[in-house]
Order: sequence, then structure tokens, then C-alpha cells
Amino acid sequence: MSKKSVLIVDDSLTVRQQVSLTLTSAGYQIVEASDGREGVDALRAHAEIAMVLCDLNMPRMNGIEFLDSIRGDAAGLPVPVVMLTTDGSPELIARAKRAGAKGWIVKPFQTDLLLAAVRRIAGDPG
Amino acid sequence: MPGDSNQARLAEILSQCTSELLTELGARPERTGGVRQPPPTGESIAAFSGFCNNELRGSFTLVGPSKLFARLHPLPPTVTPRDLTDWACEMVNQSVGRFRNRLLAYGVRLVLSVPQSALAEKLRLSSSLRPTPTPISFAIDGMVLDGWLELEIGTGFRLAESPSDEEGAALREGSIVLF
Repeated sequence: MSKKSVLIVDDSLTVRQQVSLTLTSAGYQIVEASDGREGVDALRAHAEIAMVLCDLNMPRMNGIEFLDSIRGDAAGLPVPVVMLTTDGSPELIARAKRAGAKGWIVKPFQTDLLLAAVRRIAGDPG
Repeated sequence: MPGDSNQARLAEILSQCTSELLTELGARPERTGGVRQPPPTGESIAAFSGFCNNELRGSFTLVGPSKLFARLHPLPPTVTPRDLTDWACEMVNQSVGRFRNRLLAYGVRLVLSVPQSALAEKLRLSSSLRPTPTPISFAIDGMVLDGWLELEIGTGFRLAESPSDEEGAALREGSIVLF
């Protein structure tokens, strides 16, 4: 059985590398996208994605637009999304929750807590 | 003048945010007291992020030697120039992000730009703005990380004396909330 994949949507290569290192060492597979548009494309191309970690402030399509986009997608795309951002605004957190997000992580993240959150949302890597 | 007081206090909040970030990255930053440093020799990186609301707009720029950004990079030291410019963007993004989060407790909401960065030889800060931007600089391991805060403050803007809006306070860095 193939391992579960986590999609990381972030315009920062460094953050993608940090998250990737944390999750691959725990047994997850990683798919990367550098903005919301690439994230939408990646979700359509990779049915094995079990969860998305998504930045907020990105060029072309930001994290809220990404949430709105996948929620409105005809294909449904019922993949849980957790936001990973420097922003801790309660207003935006509420906005993301209304748009279907399953959680919110304020950068910089602690690797053990990030991994615990991914396990809780996506389950064991398989 | 109230504008000067606002500027100084906002600069102090941003300075604290940057210092916190640098400390979390394993550095022991020391404020250089705003004394301008000679332009660095060799390769340097500049990264900046803009921010605004209806009463306040500005930007924060970080400039330092590439070696310093490599020293602060969170991953093993196999970093390329692209890695370093990307990391500089993320550093300024996290610094200004903290600033935005702290200001929420004062009832001030900011929107940030996507950060940008550049790498060049003998890069140094220069500004045609008047008044000149506020320097927020740190010495780290014998190197200098120069920061410039540029602010335009509307005449009606007053920063509250202390953070008071607990309801509006932001989640702290490192927090995780699952719904």
C-alpha cells in the first residue's frame, strides 16, 4: 500500500524544505506547490493527497483564495486543509474556518507539534 | 510630536519582534544602536516586506552578508544562493508578521505584501526618503544585520499606550489550533 501524501503549498522554498524534512522523516510522501494555483493543480493531479498544509500570503493565489477555490470545485476535493502562516489574526482564522480549513498553525512551527497535527488530521503515514 | 512618538514606538515593537525571531533562530543578537555600518564587502542580500492599512503604510528591509543568512538558515549548510534569498524573504516575512500580530493587540490591523529579495556584491542601503528610515540593526557573530523601517503615518493615527484588546490579540508564533 502506498504511503499517504501531504501537499505543501508555500511560496517559501525554505518552509517547504523544512516541512518536507519533518514529514518525510516520519514516513509521509510530499507534494509541493509554490502558490495556490499550483496547489489546486497538484490536488487534481494527485488523488493520493491526504492533507494540505497551506500558506496564506502568496503570489497569484493566496491561501484563502485556495480554500475558496477547492471548496467550489466541481470535483469536490474533500481534502482537509490546515493553514501554515505567520498571521495569527482571529479574524482571518475565523474566515479560514468558514471557508473549510481544519486548522491553523502560526510560523515558525515546532516540528513535533506540526507532526502531531498532521498525524491527527491525515492519520498515520501508512 | 505625536507622529515621532508613534514612529519610535512602532520601531521598538518591530525591533523586539526581529530580536525574538533571531533568538529563536539560535543567534544572540545585539542592537547596534542605530549606528550606520560601513557597506559590507562581498556578497550581501536585501529582503523587504511592505505593509499598510488606511492610516499606516511602510516597509521593513533587512540587509546583511550572505554568510549571515547562511548562519541563520534552519536547514543543513548546503544552501545555494537561491536558498539564501528565499530564506531572507522568509525572515523578513516572519519579522513583519510578528509585528502585524503584536499590533493587533493595539487594535491596528495591517496587510502585508509578498516579500522580495535581491543578492549582490557590496549591497548597501540608501534612501531618498525624508525623513530617513529608522535603523533597526543587530550585531550577530561579528556580522551586522541592518534593518530599515520606513513609515508613513496618517495624521489621525495614534498608537494606544499599551496593548489592551485581548479579544483581538493574535495567536502566538508556534501555536496550533485544530478545528
